[in-house]
Order: sequence, then structure tokens, then C-alpha cells
Amino acid sequence: ENREAMLNSKSNRLTEALEEANKLFDGVCRAREAALDAQFLVIASNIGKEKANELHSEMSAFDSTAFAEDLLTFMGINRTEVEETDDSEDVPGGFLPSDAWQTMGEEAPKYFRRAPTFHYMMGSFKSEPPVPKQRIERQKKANRGKAEQAMPAQLKKMEESHQEATEKEVERILRILQTHFENDPNTPISFFDFVIDPNSFAHTVENMFHVSFLIRDGLAKIKLDEDELPIIEPTKPSGRGEEDSRAGARNQVIISLDQREWK
Amino acid sequence: QVSELVQFLLVKDQKKIPIKRSDMKNIIHSGPAYSEILNRAGRILQEVFGLQLVEIGTKRHTYILINNLPRAEGEYLCRAKEKEKMGLLLVILSFIFMKGNSVKDGALWEFLNLLRVYPGKQHRVFGDVRKLVTEEFTRQKYLEITSIPLTDPPEFKYQWGPRAEKETSRKDVLNFVAKIQGKDPTFWASQYSEAEA
Repeated sequence: ENREAMLNSKSNRLTEALEEANKLFDGVCRAREAALDAQFLVIASNIGKEKANELHSEMSAFDSTAFAEDLLTFMGINRTEVEETDDSEDVPGGFLPSDAWQTMGEEAPKYFRRAPTFHYMMGSFKSEPPVPKQRIERQKKANRGKAEQAMPAQLKKMEESHQEATEKEVERILRILQTHFENDPNTPISFFDFVIDPNSFAHTVENMFHVSFLIRDGLAKIKLDEDELPIIEPTKPSGRGEEDSRAGARNQVIISLDQREWK
Repeated sequence: QVSELVQFLLVKDQKKIPIKRSDMKNIIHSGPAYSEILNRAGRILQEVFGLQLVEIGTKRHTYILINNLPRAEGEYLCRAKEKEKMGLLLVILSFIFMKGNSVKDGALWEFLNLLRVYPGKQHRVFGDVRKLVTEEFTRQKYLEITSIPLTDPPEFKYQWGPRAEKETSRKDVLNFVAKIQGKDPTFWASQYSEAEA
């Protein structure tokens, strides 16, 4: 236990302990006590070896306590104030400022040949949430000339993945289509009236894109009317079986629309 | 491949943990080309960045990067946290050297306590100091900790690690101690002669 004390080259405590052990051994008559004695000898010889080591590498006396005090001074300790912490029992008094180790940090790198660490300047791309979009979709009047306006849909935050967003859009458009038909059955909407956004070409293309999902899934269909213009209407949910096999003739249509045409 | 390796080494060096050959295997594959590529990378590091690629330790094919440029005056460009850690490290290395190149853990912590640094207590600057000293500094090879046989409870001795040997010198450290204590380095005769050797 008192290893450090015994190691001190000035102390004879090791010798004293050995002598005491010797005396005690005279009184030993049981194996267990002899074993303890042997254990003690092992420890004692270890300590002895360490003491010898310390003698051998006994550098010129280095006073670590003084070194510590000088370090604290260097770090800016204020010895006139007493630090109000609970660990000031066996610690030399004084207030160590919070930048103490920063002070040390300014001095230390001078003694190291340390390679500066390499960091990319800008870092990698950060993905930002898309700016919230305002979507206004307008539906032109049907042949009756009734004005219908779709509610402007506002996307507060695009948290879902693109796929989900598309699905939601598709759903929304389906609902608009269905709502129109509820109010005005038997009057298919002109396809172009439905998808074209007079204010935005890109938006028009998007609408067409979403509508194509509806067609693909059989939720809406496009036919040509008397004027050979395409019209769109939602498919009736009933009568799927046979109708499907008949109306299952799905045709692929490629519509090309460029900005001039759109205008 | 050489430039890939150079970039890899630079980035991997950020944590100051030695780089093993196995780490590099995605970039250069074993074979006769390996040493050539490594040599060329070393040359580029030296000529372009002034850094030296050094093999260290008893395990072969383990490398660190050190700074080969003469020390410049002025501020050292480095994060404050890193500098503070270097401060603590310098103090520890000085203590070890001045005490004969090897100290027991008890003695080291007794000394650090004097500086208000305690192994069991969260430090305002260093956090878990024990972890910093026994894990981070040793993984970076600044310190080497070995257990002392036949001690119960187990005790450890602390010595300079191979990175410390390369990045600093006993002479520099002695100068540091001398500066702090306001004495001439020759004041400690045997340390001085060892440092000059």
C-alpha cells in the first residue's frame, strides 16, 4: 500500500518492513502463514527492484511539485483569490482561469512537428428541403361554361420522398377530376383544358405527367370526341371484370408539346 | 493511384491514428507496385506538403505523417481543442522525461492532480481525461502504456510513444521545462546530457 513511500530513495521503510517480516516468521508454524510470508517476499523484492531502477535512472533531482506550480503560473493562476470549489482541500489555492489550457495550447505546438490536419474547405453538398411550392391549378369551363376552380394546393414542406409526392399529386388530380364529374357528369373535360396551366409551361408538363399515371392505372381514360380532340374522364369503379378485358385495350399515346404550341 | 493514396493519407491523418497497410488496401493492392506507389506518395507529400511519411513502431507497414517544415513563427493553424490537448500532452511528456523516461500511473495522476486534472472527474476542457490519456493518446502513439507484472491491483507505466519520439525531442521538451521554470536547461545535468545525446 505504501508503495510510493517505500520507493522514496531516502526512506528505509522497505528495509524496516523486511526486518519486521523476518521477526514475524520466527513465530510461524502454519503453512498458510508461510504462504503469506512468501507473498510478502515477492512484493518486497519487486519494490526492491523498482528502487534499484530508480537509483539507476535517477535523473538530476526534478521537483515535480515546483514544476506544477510553475505550470499553473504560466497558465495564469491567480493566487490571491481562493477558488470556491469543493476540491480545494489538498490543492494549492488560487483561481485558475478558464483559458488556462488555451494559454498552454498556444505554447505547446511549438514543440511538436505535427502535420496540420487536412480538411476539405467546403465540405460535401448539403441537401436542403425544397422551397415550399404554391400550386394553383385551374380547370377551364366545361361545354356549359361553368367556372370551376381547383383549390390552390400548398405544400408546406416536402417531407415525403419524391415518389410519395408524385403519388399524392396523382391522387389529388384524380380527386379533382372526380369532383368535376360529380358536379357535371356526362361531360368529359377537354384534356387540354384539364392539364394546361396558362401560366406555366413546366407546370403543364407536370400535370400531363401526373395524368399519365391515372391513365396507366386505369383510373381515368382519354377518348377522342367528335372534334377529334382528346377528352378525359374518370373511369367508373363498377363493372370492372368484363369491361376491363374489353376496354383493356390500352393504347399508348405520345403527346408532344413544346412551348410554342403551348402558347 | 499515387494521388489517390496521397489524398487518402492526408484525410486519414486527421485523427492522428497511425495508418496501417491494410487500411490502404482499397487504394493500392499488394504486389510489387505497392512499395513504389508508397514511395512516390511519400515524395509528393514531402515536396508538395512538406510532410514526412514515417514508418513507426514494432509493427511494420504502419505509418504516420509528421511535419517536416521548419517551425514557422506566428500562430499555429489548428483548432483550439487540438492545441489544448497538445498542451496537456506536452506536460505529460515533460513529466515522463524528467522523471527518467518512465513513470507509474499513480505518479502521473498525482502530478496531474496538482494541475487540477483528475482521472475520475469530468474536466471542463478535456472531458473524460482518463480516456483521453489512456485511449486517445495511446492510440495515436504519443504515449505507450504497459502493465507492470505482478502488481495487484494492476499498475501501469507510462512512456513516450513512437509518435512522440518523432514529433518532438527530449531536447525540445527540456527547453520547455526550462522555460516554464525560468532556469537554464543545464540545471538538470543528466537530463541535459541525455537530451543532447
